[in-house]
Amino acid sequence: MSVLKQIGFGAALVALLGAAVMGQTPTTIKLATQAPFNSTWHKALVDMGADWTAKTAGRVKLTVYPGGTQGDEPNTIRQMRVDGLQGNLLMAAGLSQIDESFNAFGMPFFFQSDEETAYVLQKLAPTLEKRLEAKGFHLLCWGSGGWVQLFSKQPLTTLADVKKAKLFTSNGDDRMVQWYKSNGFTPVALAANDIVAQLKTGTIDAAPSPPYPALVLQMFRDAKYMLDVRVGPLLGALVITNTAWNKVAPADRPLLTSSAKAFEKRIMADAPKQDADSVATMKTRGLTVTTLDSKAAAEFRAAAEKLAVTMRGNMVPAEIYDMAVQERDAFRKTKGK
Amino acid sequence: MRAAAVRLENVLGTLALGGIMLLPLSEIALRQTLGTGIPGAGPFAHNLTVWVGLLGAAIAAREGKLLTLATGEFLPKGWIGSTAHLIGGLVGSAIAMTFAVGGAAFVESERTAGDIIAVGVPVWVSALVFPVAFGVIALRLVWRASPSSAGRAVAATGLVIGFYLARHPELLEGHALWPWLITILVAGVLGAPIFALLGGIAMVCFFVDGSPPAVPLIKAYEELTSPAANLAAIPLFTFTGFLLAEGHSSTRLLRALKALVGWIPGGTAVAAATLCAFFTLFTGGSGVTILALGGLLFPALIKEGYRERFSIGLLTASGSLGLLFPLSVPLILYGIVAQTSAIGQTVSLEDLFIGGLLPGLLMLGLVALLGVREALRSSTARVPFRAQEAASALWDAKWELLLPAVVLGAMITGVATTSESAALAALYALVVQRFILRDLPTMTDVLRVASDCIALVGGVLLILAVAVGLTNYLVTAQIPDQLIEWTKAHIESRVVFLLCLNLFLLLVGTVMDIFSALVVVVPLIIPLAQAFEVNLIHLGIIFIANLELGYLHPPLGLNLLLASVRFKKPVLEVTWATLPMLGILAIGVLVITYVPWLTLGILDWMGRLETAVP
Repeated sequence: MSVLKQIGFGAALVALLGAAVMGQTPTTIKLATQAPFNSTWHKALVDMGADWTAKTAGRVKLTVYPGGTQGDEPNTIRQMRVDGLQGNLLMAAGLSQIDESFNAFGMPFFFQSDEETAYVLQKLAPTLEKRLEAKGFHLLCWGSGGWVQLFSKQPLTTLADVKKAKLFTSNGDDRMVQWYKSNGFTPVALAANDIVAQLKTGTIDAAPSPPYPALVLQMFRDAKYMLDVRVGPLLGALVITNTAWNKVAPADRPLLTSSAKAFEKRIMADAPKQDADSVATMKTRGLTVTTLDSKAAAEFRAAAEKLAVTMRGNMVPAEIYDMAVQERDAFRKTKGK
Repeated sequence: MRAAAVRLENVLGTLALGGIMLLPLSEIALRQTLGTGIPGAGPFAHNLTVWVGLLGAAIAAREGKLLTLATGEFLPKGWIGSTAHLIGGLVGSAIAMTFAVGGAAFVESERTAGDIIAVGVPVWVSALVFPVAFGVIALRLVWRASPSSAGRAVAATGLVIGFYLARHPELLEGHALWPWLITILVAGVLGAPIFALLGGIAMVCFFVDGSPPAVPLIKAYEELTSPAANLAAIPLFTFTGFLLAEGHSSTRLLRALKALVGWIPGGTAVAAATLCAFFTLFTGGSGVTILALGGLLFPALIKEGYRERFSIGLLTASGSLGLLFPLSVPLILYGIVAQTSAIGQTVSLEDLFIGGLLPGLLMLGLVALLGVREALRSSTARVPFRAQEAASALWDAKWELLLPAVVLGAMITGVATTSESAALAALYALVVQRFILRDLPTMTDVLRVASDCIALVGGVLLILAVAVGLTNYLVTAQIPDQLIEWTKAHIESRVVFLLCLNLFLLLVGTVMDIFSALVVVVPLIIPLAQAFEVNLIHLGIIFIANLELGYLHPPLGLNLLLASVRFKKPVLEVTWATLPMLGILAIGVLVITYVPWLTLGILDWMGRLETAVP
């Protein structure tokens, strides 16, 4: 074989190999979440990733960054917009940063039960997904973090107590902060993974949280009281950028969606039991659970109705708000009670 | 034209600094009186910190004050030195350019998304400072790369290279990283600014990983505006220190200290060391202390009969003594960085302040001990104690002495948070220096001090801003996890781990200034320390004590270089003079490291010590 031929042969081989490798370059999806390291959500995400890789024969890979290691929600969303990250398991606060219609699920005391929430979510989902799509994000599935309760350093027994407490609110949405302030609360905006530290230093003395993170993050060591008031369900959603979604081969997309739906089912099914178990565990370690007496409860309910209305057209787009109220009331008429 | 641009820059920077100071103060006032606040006061103050940092960095670039590795100082003059300088400028400007392009992409993405800071002001307006400042820095690095226009033309190719790479990061994707790393490291050794070294490494790592140039900018924005990190304290405390250093505060304080301790053998030496500690506390950089106080204290010591060698050694070492005391800027910075990296564990500033007390006194005590010994050996003058002089000197220095009381008092009584008390300190110093003592006779003087301060702070915040990008890359590549695995596999005992840490930090402290060192190294060490169950407050004190030592360590210790400039002595002579101090402080560091009680004892006694979170 002449030298030239050898070179030609070599070049062809390199080109072929190169083409083969290029064709198989896996799509890597970097996914951030605030869910704590080794929490049930983190584990479920890692399992889902393994499922993706298996189902697509390695064409899609998932790396999960738990516990806010990639930054808080506003920051991880920014990174997604420039394609630094591709996926995110977001909570209502983050979702509403992308589209404010998700604030409908952040209205305090708006929902009363899992069934009610599920019903309204199912009715609103198509609209919400479409709105996300328009902002460049594809919704893979929903998630729930359980019911948000109020954890505090001092017992909270009346609405006045709650308003007086320095209350954690999610960083990145000053309108929410102003909304709290104008309704007489004392909000302090922080990153979610900063709650524990700032409870200790006294920057905040109460934080709304579902029981499970309160347990995992050891929030209850400083916030020794939990007011069982069910502020609202912690809605979550697994989103991926449209850019990344379009890079996935069309044939692979249903595979990813079906794994994500399995993830959703697992998370949703776990949530109520997780709430109960976490409260039980924390009680054995010194948590005191308080409930409202009937007078205070009535006070909360009356305030809740007023609070929700102030969000209409301001924090929550009017049409979404009306839809949510309509569906919720419809559920309460037919199936509730 | 140029003068107008310079003025605009200074004025904008000063306005931003004023905003950081006044927003939290108005918030305190409104909260105490009307029970309301300013909408978005917090977010706006945080965004102004971004502006102070970036404008300050541009000013620092203008003045040639961007922090560099100490290695550049040792290059021979002549063509070798100027070529090295040119290479440093070329690579530095290329890297600054990639950040400018990344900043532009960040602004563009924010304009599309429309995120709001507060009351309708969009994030992109604030983010605009990134592409502008980095662009200006890139141009200035080219300008300063060479005195000749041919040299500048060569350096200007850096702008083109940086722009092109940042627009086409996919060129690097999946390719080898090491040629880029070597280029950047060499440029760093040759005198490219530290921000370019760290930022450049972060950028090429992201490019090779397939990420766009906007990512490190977004991380920088997050860090600079994070309410938890609350970086505003850094410019504010530095401004306080600069205001005090500017006037006759040092003379008044020295007189008060001498009146109090002058009767002890070595009293003046002790007083000088204490005074240096006090100033370093606020300025954060020991360099500032040597430059500001060296001129006052050196003649004072010589006059009282201290040997020249001892005096130089004392002042060189004292420049870093204050760093362990409450409110010290590096201590605050450690708390900030550690809190960001220590997931699930608390690093409270108050605990750090308390923890640093005894170790700080130990270090100061050790230096004082040498002072006493020196006084006994040579025949130095002693001032007899006179109650009247003491009282009058103390009264004369009452405004300065009240400052720590005002700040700590506001914090303890809960009138102000830690961050707000920084604003309070700055306002206090400003009012005292400008209106009561009138050390700064005109507003023009205040503006000059402010822009000096902004240039220093800008240099520091710039490094912080780009270093988070690097840290983020390490997280993304999951390197800390691997580092923990490796260390756990190779180092078994905590004592060996601490010993390695001591040596490592000595090395780091030798080549880097304390701010860069904290920002880069702390996030890497925290997970290791957690694995070896080292208390994070103790770790912080070890870090700072150790880095103090690095300042004095030959051949590259920063204090040695600065003292050599200030006292007009060769570096070797200063090094020789400082050796006894280095020795005794090394003993101090070892005691601090292996006697955790020194740091944790008081905390434990106060019941503030928690068992580490599992």
